Amino acid sequence: MQNIQKPMKMTKNINKYHKQKQFWSMVFLLPWMLGIVFLFGMPLIQSFLYSFFKLTPRVGEIVLEFVGMGNYLFAWNTHVTTVSSFKVELINTVTDVVINLPVLLIFSLFIAVMLNAKFKGRAVVRAIFFIPVILNSAAVATALGGGDIITQILEQQNIGQLFDLEYFLVQTGLDQVIVGFISGLIGRIYDILALAGVPILLFLASIQSVPKHLYEAAKIEGATAYEMFWLITLPNVSPHIITVTVYALVDTFLTSSVSGIISDELNKQQWGVSSAMSWMYVGSIIVILLIIFLLAKIFGIGGSHYEN
Amino acid sequence: MKTNVLQKIQTYYEKKKTEIKDTYFTQKLNAKRKRDFQAFFGSFFRYVFLIGLCFVILFPTIQQILQALRAPEDVNNPAVIWIPEIWSLKNLELAVLVLDYKDALINTATMSFISMVLQLFSTALAGYAFSRLKNKVTNVLFILVILTIVIPPQALSLSQYLYFRDLRLIGKQSSIYLMNLLGMGIRSGIFIFIFRQFFAGLPKELEESAQIDGAGVFRIFFSVMLPNARGAMVTVGLFSFVWAWNDAYYVKIFEVSTADFPLLTMRLLNAAENMYAQLFYTGGLDLVGQDVWENPLFLALISNVAALLMMLPLLIMYLFVQKQFVESIERTGIVG
Repeated sequence: MQNIQKPMKMTKNINKYHKQKQFWSMVFLLPWMLGIVFLFGMPLIQSFLYSFFKLTPRVGEIVLEFVGMGNYLFAWNTHVTTVSSFKVELINTVTDVVINLPVLLIFSLFIAVMLNAKFKGRAVVRAIFFIPVILNSAAVATALGGGDIITQILEQQNIGQLFDLEYFLVQTGLDQVIVGFISGLIGRIYDILALAGVPILLFLASIQSVPKHLYEAAKIEGATAYEMFWLITLPNVSPHIITVTVYALVDTFLTSSVSGIISDELNKQQWGVSSAMSWMYVGSIIVILLIIFLLAKIFGIGGSHYEN
Repeated sequence: MKTNVLQKIQTYYEKKKTEIKDTYFTQKLNAKRKRDFQAFFGSFFRYVFLIGLCFVILFPTIQQILQALRAPEDVNNPAVIWIPEIWSLKNLELAVLVLDYKDALINTATMSFISMVLQLFSTALAGYAFSRLKNKVTNVLFILVILTIVIPPQALSLSQYLYFRDLRLIGKQSSIYLMNLLGMGIRSGIFIFIFRQFFAGLPKELEESAQIDGAGVFRIFFSVMLPNARGAMVTVGLFSFVWAWNDAYYVKIFEVSTADFPLLTMRLLNAAENMYAQLFYTGGLDLVGQDVWENPLFLALISNVAALLMMLPLLIMYLFVQKQFVESIERTGIVG
């Protein structure tokens, strides 16, 4: 009798625990849910509506005037700033992202693999690699004027580039486009490092979560480090490639000039236009994301290599 | 005759044997050499590459520090490239004036710290609910977390502003705190994601054994899971603090930085926009001669130094937290 009763009691306990879990999940999510309703959901719907209106601030209220797609058309066709326009910047950002995202992914995976290996001074190198993330701030970037001051001072002293990479590359007979691409990458290495900080962190963490016994077994079988990377590390990291891609994509957009233009319009009280712009911005991110997800599905990236 | 042939065969056999042995050993030796060479080449390449990148990272900061320490008169002295001819703290003094450094530093530090604590609270709770207290409802809600990551803050700012205006929170720090408390602070979505992955990676046995010992859900979270999540806490805490420190967007939208409550980012932005006016109003111009402040490079240099002053506390803090931070990546891995 006792033997039967015990499991029954256990299952009862577990059921109770499950109920408790459901209750507590709601309690734990309470602050976040309040936030998502009041600070995210409602503003989101509102801004979507605003994008079809012309908003004029009056004393104590805001006058709405329906303009249909007017704001979108204005943002796309007629909007200009002193140096550029929304359309140009948006297209630039999208092409930049499409070109730079693969580079960023490969670069950060490469660095993560390197930082994961054991070598002397690893802790120091790791600490240094996350400095750009710490120092990456819009205010600082404005104050530095993109490092212009330093180059100005150096130029006044007739110290230009110590090593003219572009010149050497052209000498080797490479195509102008490739030369531009490579020297552009190297010129922006600091920016790339700043963008790559969090991706490196995510990759590093996912590499470390790969079971160690896989590597041990491979080593006994005589696999080289190269083979181990392609056959163990990469398949195990691939589920996180999507995470990193989404992060990097959103981050590039957030730090792009498009985001700056939208902020400017917001500050100029062009609220309808800025809403329309941010929806176009969201639209382009979502299109890119959909393409990425589609590609991932076709090539089978993201699914676990070993069936869980 | 017969023995002769036998002997011949034997000697031939011996010869072959040693030959095979030799080639086998030299091959083995060669393989070892090859491996050693590869290992050496690999580590050599790695060091060159990593040291190069570290140099790229550290170079601008070192240059900035050295430029900050030269005398204002030496701004475009062609003889000074790296080491200042006359060491001076004048630039720093001026930047401190422009930034209203002492007050702004204290304000920024307290605000970042409180934001960090609130953000840790809301995102850790949400991350835990999404990973260990999963059910159908939370699975659907998690899509919204992804959405919060993707939607730019600009799309929401106007409505949020109007909201806070109705609550009379505009121009107060509480607006920022409320955002963080409700899990809608700067990149809260990413933090929820990190916590979710981390908690999902903790062994199930931890929870089960605590449950058998009679602990409830809250107890398990608070005294079993949270102490084990120190790695994620350090990572998220560091990023949260740093991003709150560097944030210029929300601070600007909600008009938090005022004359009574200066914040570093806003002071720096204002100063960078018009350094001359800022120096004029704070009386910094009187500290240097006219020939110096007429030089546009000098004004740019001061804004450079001000940027350095803003970053310096973060750098110092990072030096202290850095060990824990790197270890936290080491120990478990954030991603499950």
